[in-house]
Amino acid sequence: MKREISGIVAAAALAVLAQTGGAAAQACSVNVGVVYPTSIDWGKPIAATTLWVADMVNEAGGVDGCKVETTLRDDQNDAKVGVDAAKALVDISKVRLLIGTVASGITIPILTSVSVPAGTMQISCCSSTTRLTALAAEGATKGLWFRTFATSRVQGSVAAMAAKDAGYKKVAVFYKNDDWGQDLGKLAAAAFRASGIEVTAQIAISDGQPGYRAEVTQALAGKPDAVYLALYPKEGISVVREWLSLGGTNKMIGANSLKSDDFRNTVGVQHLANFIGTDTSTPRTDSAKGFVAAYTAKFGKPPAGPGLPNSFDATAIALLAYSAAGKDATGAQIAAKVPMVTDPKGEKANGDVEGFKKALGLLKQGKAVSFQGATGALVFDKNGDVSAPAVLWTFGANGIDEKRYIPLEDVEAFIAALK
Amino acid sequence: MIQNLLDGILTGAVISLGAIGLTMVMHMLRFANFAYAELLAIGAYAALVFDRVLAALAPALATAFKPLTVSASLALATLLAMAITGASAVVVDWLVFRRIRAKADALSMVFASFGVALIIRNAITLAFGHNAQLFSQDIAFATVLSTDPLILVKADQVFVLVAALALMAAFHIVLTRTSFGFALRAVAENPTLAQVAGVRLSTMIVAVWLIGGGLSAAAGVFYTLTNHLSPALGSNFLLPVFAATIVGGIGSVYGAVLGGFLVGVASGLSLAVLPSGYVPAMPFLIILAVLLLRPHGLFGEDQA
Amino acid sequence: MIGVISYLVFFATMAGILAIVVLGLNLQWGYTGLFNGGVAAFFGAGAYVTMLLGGRPEPGQFGGFLAPFPVAIVGGILFAGLIAWFFGVLTLRLRHDYLAIATFGVAIALESVARNAEWLTGGAKGLRGFPRPLEATITALGGGDNFLYGLFFLALVLAVLAAVYVGLERLTRSPYGRALRAIREDEAAARSLGKNPVRLRLESFVIGSMIMGAAGGLYVAFYAYVGPQDLAPILTFQVWAMLIVGGAGNNRGAVLGAFLIWAAWTASGFALAALAPQAMQLYTGPIQYILIGSVIVGMLLWRPQGILPEQIRQQGRN
Repeated sequence: MKREISGIVAAAALAVLAQTGGAAAQACSVNVGVVYPTSIDWGKPIAATTLWVADMVNEAGGVDGCKVETTLRDDQNDAKVGVDAAKALVDISKVRLLIGTVASGITIPILTSVSVPAGTMQISCCSSTTRLTALAAEGATKGLWFRTFATSRVQGSVAAMAAKDAGYKKVAVFYKNDDWGQDLGKLAAAAFRASGIEVTAQIAISDGQPGYRAEVTQALAGKPDAVYLALYPKEGISVVREWLSLGGTNKMIGANSLKSDDFRNTVGVQHLANFIGTDTSTPRTDSAKGFVAAYTAKFGKPPAGPGLPNSFDATAIALLAYSAAGKDATGAQIAAKVPMVTDPKGEKANGDVEGFKKALGLLKQGKAVSFQGATGALVFDKNGDVSAPAVLWTFGANGIDEKRYIPLEDVEAFIAALK
Repeated sequence: MIQNLLDGILTGAVISLGAIGLTMVMHMLRFANFAYAELLAIGAYAALVFDRVLAALAPALATAFKPLTVSASLALATLLAMAITGASAVVVDWLVFRRIRAKADALSMVFASFGVALIIRNAITLAFGHNAQLFSQDIAFATVLSTDPLILVKADQVFVLVAALALMAAFHIVLTRTSFGFALRAVAENPTLAQVAGVRLSTMIVAVWLIGGGLSAAAGVFYTLTNHLSPALGSNFLLPVFAATIVGGIGSVYGAVLGGFLVGVASGLSLAVLPSGYVPAMPFLIILAVLLLRPHGLFGEDQA
Repeated sequence: MIGVISYLVFFATMAGILAIVVLGLNLQWGYTGLFNGGVAAFFGAGAYVTMLLGGRPEPGQFGGFLAPFPVAIVGGILFAGLIAWFFGVLTLRLRHDYLAIATFGVAIALESVARNAEWLTGGAKGLRGFPRPLEATITALGGGDNFLYGLFFLALVLAVLAAVYVGLERLTRSPYGRALRAIREDEAAARSLGKNPVRLRLESFVIGSMIMGAAGGLYVAFYAYVGPQDLAPILTFQVWAMLIVGGAGNNRGAVLGAFLIWAAWTASGFALAALAPQAMQLYTGPIQYILIGSVIVGMLLWRPQGILPEQIRQQGRN
């Protein structure tokens, strides 16, 4: 039978992989599965960040003294391919920790038909949909699910906060027509309205359309004094250029996804003087700055794509929890150790080789750690979600300038006031 | 509303250019060519490369003719791209479609064109990446023609419309005034009869690919000039150009031109009727309407 | 070893579902010569309707009627057939391009609806939560381990696959099947023999699309999730590749093609993950598409009849 042959070939290929990578200091190894859309422009750096963290943890001594062996699989943004890759990692490579993925249309089937049935812990940097919170709330994830991407609620609310402070009265909303964009666009529009700001239009920007002139014209018709952009750089560039060239205002509020060199340079920084960015989770910690410096040193450019700090933290927290649970731990045991890694009362440990060494040592002694990651000291709630402080940023002459830091309590107070 | 109409006409001009070649190919070779729209992408990327090369060789050429963003180097690059794209259409035909024509039926060609489209699109992605590319980084600001209702026009848009109409007019003259044009029309109308009359079909096929490729390349460049370029350019135009040929009636060059404008205008106005997320489905609704009302298109003949 | 078997069961289940789709396409294309450019639409229509009827209710969301699985999937099958009937009536009298283009358009239009009509389809985040048939009972039988359920589901998919296969074999070997081939080969001759080509084509198109809808229903039960990505054109392409490589007009070829191409598709993921240098990872997606495109075109050039060519018995020719 063909399928058996292919399976054996695949298993052999994996065996070869496991052997070639094994010549390191550690005698043992733990397999970790990574599924990300590496064949998509913004997916590749997310995956690269994950592999980089694994290297650092290995340098710091590895998970419970064992070398972390990552197997990276591309999900091609196709649910069938992503779920198959995850299934192979869980069944054949026997991973008990799965990192991934981005599109919730793939994350959800992986979670419900691979990870949860197999008892594998799954953590993602970037799946944002509220569906996942609902799944966890009804107990369908059995506590095996985590994500380091704060749900879109905070970012949508902070956008309204920024608009209110800037005195905008009428805002048009552009949103990317995918799960993330629909969610964020809707939440932001609701927050604008709740803050007494008129939403003149909510316009979906479908992926890869020949152009967005009709959409932009539609938004112009409402004569807004500002626009809100829940877009990725690729469509963001097209929409914003079109918007500006047709005489639209340069008063813009954008989601953290637009924190990108590509967006900044292709639109032109001179047109972005009144651009206010929001971000959920760049707290004022040395670790966040440390991440930027370390990333720049590693990859030769600053981390300016969506989801990179989140990817860093997802991998780091998961590997530290793995180490705390021991090299033979099950997925549920790893998941149970996550609070020990993100304990606010624990000793602080940074996201670099030194920090990992320290954290691994403390965890080994059974002591709690407060991991200070690229997005600060995260704490997961019972649904595996994180809440985070917010920050407003702008495009400065030499990169991203932080405009205002909004602590978690203020964000929560603002959200409460909206209701 | 008027603004959407104007923008629709502009997009329509681009669709028309793309549809002219497609309708001829579909009629002459009797298959729906799913790879055809990739010629727009090939043309636009070829122009991008030539533009950069020319601008590097002779920086003087790179200055834009204000208020346009078009430069001499881009104009030259477009001509080169038209030639290259026409040639690549011929090469693809020679490598794939001609061989399949000889062996299997027209429907195998439909599927082969699926495969060819996939190869071209991903080869472009490999070479240029997923990101949006632009001929010029400058933002060309629109001129306000009227503030109430708000009507804005960019110089580039006017240029594109004029250039597209000029190309179509030139093609019209070729079709009606030259013996080559007569032969082409004869083949398009009845390939078998034309061959009996002494027209060489193989020569005409090459000519059709060259013309179609050239016009598509121009369409791709014109489009990019007022929008942006990404590897998905071709696949984005696939349904609109198909819709234009069906509206016009398969085989009718003038039908394709009219169909292109109709599809462009309808898509431009689609936001007035449809929520924004449904815009990609607009050309399909036009096809549906034509199938319901006038299945052979505006100028198509009945041939089951 | 149990892990490898568990993966193979999983792989075979997906391949089996795809094989059902390929069989549906084979009836349309292989036996009747109809070009369906929107396979994903019929698959997706079946999947979404099965989910709406059989899924769990969710606040603010239409559907979730918790219909028993057989009822839900029949609903999906009927809906796929209804769409096929509508577009078949519109296009089958015209030249073949029209069907190809219209079906291609249907897939794009349905994807738009799935992505945007949030009250109905869940929007871009899709619909989830499908009670798998007999899951609790069988998992309990297996002592809480879900491997047994995996086996059961594979058996279910293979049973449907076998039923479709046998049904199609009987259909295509019957006088009816010969009539389909006759109109594919020479419509005028078939017409002169008193066959009604438009009606036969329509029937074949509708039946084929209903088979695709059934596969969509199984897919929903398997993943307990459906989203707009499941309607992406890539599925249409994969299914066509399976049929062309396996052998159009041969049901065994269709099934073989499905397993072969799906194995190659997933194995290339393994191979690229294992062998390609890290820097190449970004390019594996496009390279994979180029390879599969080349396989299709190459197959059409050198062996257009596929691995298992159509076998026409003497009396099959008109």
